[in-house]
Amino acid sequence: MNNKKQRGYVSLPGIGDLALSGLRPLIGILLGLIAGAGLIALSGVNPLSAYVAMLKGAFGSPQAFANVLVRASPLLIGGVGVAIGIKAGLWNVGIEGYMYAGAIGAGMVGIAALPVAPIVHIILSFLAAIAFAVVWGLGPAYMKAYRGVNEVVATIMMNYVAIFFTSWMVHEPQPMAEPGSFFPMSRMIAPTAKLPILMKGTSLHPGFIIGLIACVVLYFVLRYTPFGFRTRMLGVNPVGSRYAGVNVRQQMLFVLLIGALMGGVSGAVEILGLKQRVYMDFVAGVGYESVAVALLAGGNPLGVIASALFFSALKAGGATMSIQTGVGGPMTVVIEALCVIFVIGVGYSERKRLERLDVAEKEDKEVEYDVA
Amino acid sequence: MTQNIEIAMRMEGITKRFPGVLANDRISLDCRKGEVLGLLGENGAGKTTLMNILYGLHQPDSGKIFIEGKEVKIESPAKAIELGIGMVHQHFKLVDTLTALENVILGIPSEHPMVLDLAPARKRFLSLCEEYDLYVDPTVETWRLSVGKQQWLEILKALYRDARLLVLDEPTAVLTPSEGEQLFKAIRKLTKEGRSVIFISHKFGEVLEITDRITVIRDGHVVGTVPTKEATYPELARMMVGRPVSMDRKPRPSATKIDPVLVMENVQANNDRGLPALKNINLTVKAGEIVGVAGVDGNGQLELAECIVGLRKRTGGSIRIQGHDVDRVMADPSFVGYIPADRQKVGLFLTLTVAENLVVKDYAKPPFTRRGVLRYQAIRQHANRLIKEYNIRTPSSEVQVVHLSGGNQQKVVVAREMSAQPPLVIASQATRGLDLGAVESVHNFLLKERNRGAAVLFISTELQEVMSLSDRIIVMFRGEIMGEMDGEAADINVIGQMMLGQVTEVVA
Repeated sequence: MNNKKQRGYVSLPGIGDLALSGLRPLIGILLGLIAGAGLIALSGVNPLSAYVAMLKGAFGSPQAFANVLVRASPLLIGGVGVAIGIKAGLWNVGIEGYMYAGAIGAGMVGIAALPVAPIVHIILSFLAAIAFAVVWGLGPAYMKAYRGVNEVVATIMMNYVAIFFTSWMVHEPQPMAEPGSFFPMSRMIAPTAKLPILMKGTSLHPGFIIGLIACVVLYFVLRYTPFGFRTRMLGVNPVGSRYAGVNVRQQMLFVLLIGALMGGVSGAVEILGLKQRVYMDFVAGVGYESVAVALLAGGNPLGVIASALFFSALKAGGATMSIQTGVGGPMTVVIEALCVIFVIGVGYSERKRLERLDVAEKEDKEVEYDVA
Repeated sequence: MTQNIEIAMRMEGITKRFPGVLANDRISLDCRKGEVLGLLGENGAGKTTLMNILYGLHQPDSGKIFIEGKEVKIESPAKAIELGIGMVHQHFKLVDTLTALENVILGIPSEHPMVLDLAPARKRFLSLCEEYDLYVDPTVETWRLSVGKQQWLEILKALYRDARLLVLDEPTAVLTPSEGEQLFKAIRKLTKEGRSVIFISHKFGEVLEITDRITVIRDGHVVGTVPTKEATYPELARMMVGRPVSMDRKPRPSATKIDPVLVMENVQANNDRGLPALKNINLTVKAGEIVGVAGVDGNGQLELAECIVGLRKRTGGSIRIQGHDVDRVMADPSFVGYIPADRQKVGLFLTLTVAENLVVKDYAKPPFTRRGVLRYQAIRQHANRLIKEYNIRTPSSEVQVVHLSGGNQQKVVVAREMSAQPPLVIASQATRGLDLGAVESVHNFLLKERNRGAAVLFISTELQEVMSLSDRIIVMFRGEIMGEMDGEAADINVIGQMMLGQVTEVVA
């Protein structure tokens, strides 16, 4: 043959591409922290000492770290529920609502004085939470899967319904409500339904263990089961999935319901482990934070572990920072948001790079890459 | 250079590198005033990239561009338009929901900043339509226009901006032969006025017909420029591909089996807009034959394929595959092997790996799943076997298919669909966008399927490949089968007429 170059190979992603995709969240977080430092400096505080205070607040003592883990629990569980949706190309942003529904379920069973062993009481409470949350999630999931309603709209709207439904449930004369309380809330859950405290002097409960297990299990499901494979196929190419024989609607329904289930567990963990009562606004945005956690993790269940810990460390440390340096508490929320924005931003610029690669291909319909 | 030749545009040493690809390697060419310059090259040779540089969509890594003798830097399409360059992309850049006229004036500042006065624009537009004999109704929303009319609209849009150099990227791909004639007339008129046209194509016939000079590009280099009068078909083919090319009919053993595999009776279906796309299609494909479906793009071929594979609902009629109703068969995707027209949208999962893409129909069956767990080792082994068998060029089975070239992406689809040895194969525009080598291997795979005894339905808008590959040929026009003929004895002129809906008798 002639001296024709060997053609028809693939483009090997450059080191830059690899580094960018692997380190993307870290680079984003770093940029977010730098931008946050700028804002802290603007408020007249040395950013370095503020961040040191924050670190101390999160990791300075076993108690501090226990606090981080407590805060991480609902984020881990809710975050992984959102993450599996992201893998399927679905934005399941109804975690807040599922948490309320789960909390009501867990609360109802938890409040009741049942003549059973604590472990049984706890399991029953969790089952009730799951049942409530899944039933709650069935509406939006069905609307998305079988009626083509945008899942973001459906799930967000249900969040508001859940919040006010909770409020109604804990007002007298509903049976759950604490009689004669000055603030509408449910009665306290029974001692047998409480999650055990793992470390004295803290409120560390086993919620984070449940969360870690959930992340690992869902990672396995996504990677190693036919169900997970279908989920990833759906996320990459819904049309192709349909052609390849996937029951796309059913798959969407299941994935959204898994998110609801996780949300329910997350709500139950908050009630049985920490709050011990159900009341309006007890979730306080944790459901939405779960979405941010999953986003930061790029939908990877194992990544959710890291990003949930990061968010909760920021929260826990933020309180200390605020006390020690006078930087306002809301600053932690700002930093969180900056980190998410930068991670998305880095992702965007990465996509641009890939697009440019792709453009070369699309424009000539087919560029045969040379591997030199 | 003689004095009386005026150069409208000159590019010197243009180099453009994309990550991993050298798209243009020191390309120099010029286009004279009043001429049609043909830019000939295979897909992927770098033609479009070069023109996108000219239109300011890409910046060259090095090299210079001169417009009418002056060096210019074209940093945006706006600048290109200002310099009198007009471009008609292969994929039109029209806003579907705007009217034809609105699309034309889009981006041109109105004389009165607060008022949109369309009357003068309409007048000018209609006079352009008349002048170039390219009539498009200015009030109609562009999505209602045929692809051919949309292209004219793109040309009119460029002329409205007074383009003196018009770049047409594969303009005839979407046209019927008569629309093509009209386009060529308009091009001749343009050059008579002293405007220049760069005509990008990979089809020899039309390049030889319309151009004055031809520049051939291969692998990002200019292979040469020849005056069209002196150019010959074999020489151009050799320049373009780098070796002699044959386009003859593929030899094959005669068909032995006669069992009908696919039987369609009175099939009707709508297109995406809910308009009838298939009208009473009756078609039988037997085992061991390739039935070619010819026709201009958009005459129901896509809907035909989608009905058979179950991606589109019929509004009437029946489809049977080996005697089974198609709606039942679809539950078992191994019945039909489908090579879709849009491989990236239907056939592939771009960010899954090659190995994963090869099992998207069978992942849940053993040996790929055992006891509910995916066995990646088996999946990889399967992939490595197919990579070898179908000569898929990839560094490993663990690479995402998005990184493969188009030809190799198509081979992934072919390998998956054919490896199950389905009784029926539907190939819909299976070679679109592939270079000649990949086209040939797809042809060979299909022929192999036929010889194995599969019934093959081969849908293509490239007449040449339909004629070289088919045992029987049917022609579709506006959702109907215009006629059928033997592949051996087919006459290109008869097919051409049928593609325009002019012949309805069956030449069986």
